[in-house]
This record gives sequence, C-alpha cells and structure tokens, in this order.
Amino acid sequence: MNPARLKALRRFDLPILAVGFVVLGYLLTIQRTTDFIIFCIFVLAYDLLYGYMGRLSFGHMLYLGTGAYAAALSAEHLSGNPFLAIFVAILAGAAIGAALGPIIVRTTGACFALINLAFNQMGYFLALIAFARWTGGEDGMSAFFDKVGPIDFSKRGVVFVFSLLCLLAVVFLMKRLTNSPFGILLRTIKENETRSRFLGYNTFLYKLIAFVISTTIASFAGALSILNYTYVTPSFIDTSRNVEVIFASLIGGAGSIYGALVGGIAYMTISNYLPNYIQRWEMFLGVVLLILVFWFREGIWGYVSRFAGEARGQAR
Amino acid sequence: MLLSVENINVSYGSARVLSGISLNVNQGEMVFVVGRNGAGKTTLLKTIAGFLEPDNGTIRLNGDDIAGVPAEQLVFKGIRYVFQDKRVFTQLTVRENIQLAAFPSREPLDEAIGKVTNIYPKISQFLDSKAGGLSGGQRQLLLLGRALIGNPKLLLIDEPTEGLAAGIIEEVFQILEMMKGQLSLVIVEQNLAAVSRLADRVYAMKEGTIAAELHKSDDIEKHGFLEQYL
Repeated sequence: MNPARLKALRRFDLPILAVGFVVLGYLLTIQRTTDFIIFCIFVLAYDLLYGYMGRLSFGHMLYLGTGAYAAALSAEHLSGNPFLAIFVAILAGAAIGAALGPIIVRTTGACFALINLAFNQMGYFLALIAFARWTGGEDGMSAFFDKVGPIDFSKRGVVFVFSLLCLLAVVFLMKRLTNSPFGILLRTIKENETRSRFLGYNTFLYKLIAFVISTTIASFAGALSILNYTYVTPSFIDTSRNVEVIFASLIGGAGSIYGALVGGIAYMTISNYLPNYIQRWEMFLGVVLLILVFWFREGIWGYVSRFAGEARGQAR
Repeated sequence: MLLSVENINVSYGSARVLSGISLNVNQGEMVFVVGRNGAGKTTLLKTIAGFLEPDNGTIRLNGDDIAGVPAEQLVFKGIRYVFQDKRVFTQLTVRENIQLAAFPSREPLDEAIGKVTNIYPKISQFLDSKAGGLSGGQRQLLLLGRALIGNPKLLLIDEPTEGLAAGIIEEVFQILEMMKGQLSLVIVEQNLAAVSRLADRVYAMKEGTIAAELHKSDDIEKHGFLEQYL
C-alpha cells in the first residue's frame, strides 16, 4: 500500500472502523464484539499514559473497575437511567484520577508502575471486603437499566451500536488530543521531561491532566461493560488482569491510536479463541511478549506503518 | 542592568560547586563564561535558568529576585536555555519541535518557523522530518532558532560550538553575531576565537569561583591570559 493511499484511508478511518466492527459483529456474536469495542476504549485510555507519556501502569484495572462499580451503584441507589450511570462513572473516574494523580504522576519508571499497582490492590480489597455491603463482595452486583425513550439497553444490538458510537467518539477525541500541542508535549515528556520544562511547561500539571483523562476514559469503558454484562464483580478490578491491557498496547504498538485499536482487537481475538485450541494459552502470550520485546518493539501497527513507507510519527 | 547575580553559593548535596559568584549582564550585552571542565560554568547557567536553587545570594532579572524560581516560570520572564548536548526532541518532527516552543508564548506557528528559518533557511526543507534525523550542527541551529521564539530577553547558551565541524562553527558565530545587541546573552564557550571576536565581557571561572573579569575595552585577545583558565 503506498503512502498516499494510506493517507486517504486515514481520512476515512472512523467509517472504516465502524464498518469493520459491524462486519465483526456478524462474524462473531454481538455481545462479544461489544466486548472487543469496550476493550479497545480501555486500551486507548491506557495508551495515553503508556504510549504517549511513557508511563507504564500496573494498576489501570482500578479505573475500569471504578467506572463499572460507579455505574452499578448509580443504577442501584440513584436511578435506573443508563445515561446517569455513565455520567456518574465518568465523574468517578475523573475524581479518582484527580485524587490519586497528584501522588502518582510525581513518580516515574518502576515507581509509577508499582504505585498504581498498590492503589489497584487497595481498590480490589475495598470492593471485595471493606465495601462488600454495597458492592456485594465476591458475588458482585447486578445492574438493571430503564428504557430511555426508544433506547433499550437490555437489547444487545442497542448496546453494540451505542458502544461503537462511543468508541468512534473516543477515537475522534484522542486524535484531536494527541495531535494538539498537548499531545506533542506528552510525547516530549516521554522523551525528556526536563527539556519540556525549559520550554515553559509545567509538566506536573500536564501529566496530571493526561492522567485524569486516562482514568476518566477507563471508567467510561467500565460503565459500558456494565451495560454489556449487567453485573460487576471484583474481577473488574483484579490486579492480575492489568497484563491484558499492557499486552494489547504492546501487540498493537504503543503511542499510536491505530496501534491501540489493532492491539485491542488482536488481544481479544487471542484471549477469546486461543483457549479453544491451546489449554494453557497464557503461555502463548508469554512467547508473544518475548518476541515483541526482542524483535518487534513497534508492535503490529508500527510495522504496518513502516512497510507502508511512512514515518511512524505521521501514522499517529 | 538586565541580570545581576550577587554572591551565590550552589551545592550538590554537601559538595559546594559554586562559591561567592557575582556576575552582571547589561541589556544587549554578550557575556562569555570560560573555564576548565569542572570549573562550574554549566552549574552557573543552570542556576540562572532555574534548574538549581542557590544556597544563598540573589539573582535579579530586571530587578526581580528570581533565585529558586522554577525553570518553567522563568521562560515567561524571558529567559531561554540552550543545553550543551544539542538534544532536540528526536521523535517529533522539526515543525513540532518549533510548535512546542511557540505554544507557551502564544506566538503564531508561522512566525515561530520564520524565526528559525531566518537564522537557518535550509531548515524549511526538513520541517516535516523527524528531528532525530538532523546532524549535530543542524540540531544546534534549530535549538538556537527555537530559543528566539517568544522574544526572550536573556539567552543562556552552553558550549554552542562543541563537537561541531569547522564550517558549522563559523555559521554559529555568524548567528551569534546577528543576535548581538538584539538581546542579552550569557555563553559558556571554550573557543577563544569566538570569545575574542564576540565578547563584550568575559568571566573566567576556576574551581567554582570567578577568577577574573575582562571587558571588551581591556582588549581581551591581547591580554592572552584567558588561556591560563582553559
């Protein structure tokens, strides 16, 4: 594929993405495809921190789980309105990001990864034990949503279309964000934060904003999961599941919106279908990780871009 | 007087690196700081630029005490710092490198690009290329041009000709000559030809102190004693 054709395709990326997921919906099941879509939103949230800002987090499930529990608690205690539940989840994601961010974004490297893990672990036990009275503990809790006009989220097709629209909106926003001076600055923070400060940027503030955006989008994905499954358990906040989003980001190619989407779809395909053929399929993921780390650090999208003859920066 | 540094001491932990440093820079003046490796020249620039906080003493810019003010705030007071290692943001395009400097000062991108191309016209060919692909000389010229974005009052440049080819060094000299009088500069430089050609004032540093101060009227080149500090 020549660069001009790839550029033209990129102009129509949102319609192509929509058609792609509709086709996938026909090939797989609607619910499973919705799951793919929601996971892609989660990977996009994660990639803003890891791919763009260069901060590897081992605790992003906390923010997904926060959104899921917030939406379920809203349905249980406030109203059955699904849009209110999503709004509450978004607020909860932003609030937890704003509360933990000032502590977390001061750190880098292993400290950043582990402090996220520590908060994730705390969140897990809060949901499992301390707040079990409200969260249902190990059993989790169900969430049922009212019909709003013609929109009935008990129908899988409606959840699918709504989730797809949400993904398209998130991709659009992320494209605007990452191509703005803010997005450029995040990439410089990844490369050399000190230099960014000498250009007049209060990097702490920008890192905090990026962190809050990331936790908010992750919580949004959590709320959509509740619409799709109508229940939430502590597995939504389980620290061991952080590896899923890290793998997806690496497989697709970190620091690229298309990479996050490709990684999300690739990981979900592997984790959904490989267990049918290989009993200990996680071992396969380990091998994939080794290959990625040693030979394919740019991930699938990075290599597609390179083979298409484009600089990776233009592919973002 | 634009910049006045009075009796500052700077330490890295318990080790004192600068002792009793005083230095003045007038409006439009080009001041050079010379000295051997380890004399404290870069530390002095980093302290003025807000990267290090002095233990005591004052640093005044236009009369305002700026000692200990963070680097990102000093940018808005008109101070720019060009690092010694000629590092640009390699993963960004040249245009994005310029855009990043233009954004905090709200300078239109076209004007910002114009400032860079004014001192290095060939850069317009590389605007959409990754800055990581530029040579050392091209990177230095980009950094010098980028430092002019936002109309700074004081430019701090650390060893601008170090490691560059002779042709590029001459180009850097010409750019510095062009800047002379338009803004104030404090330049750390080991190249005595540049110092004698461009300096209005020279401070020679030795072991963390100012060992000598020479003015243009002192005929810097003829004295010949700067060599003892290099």
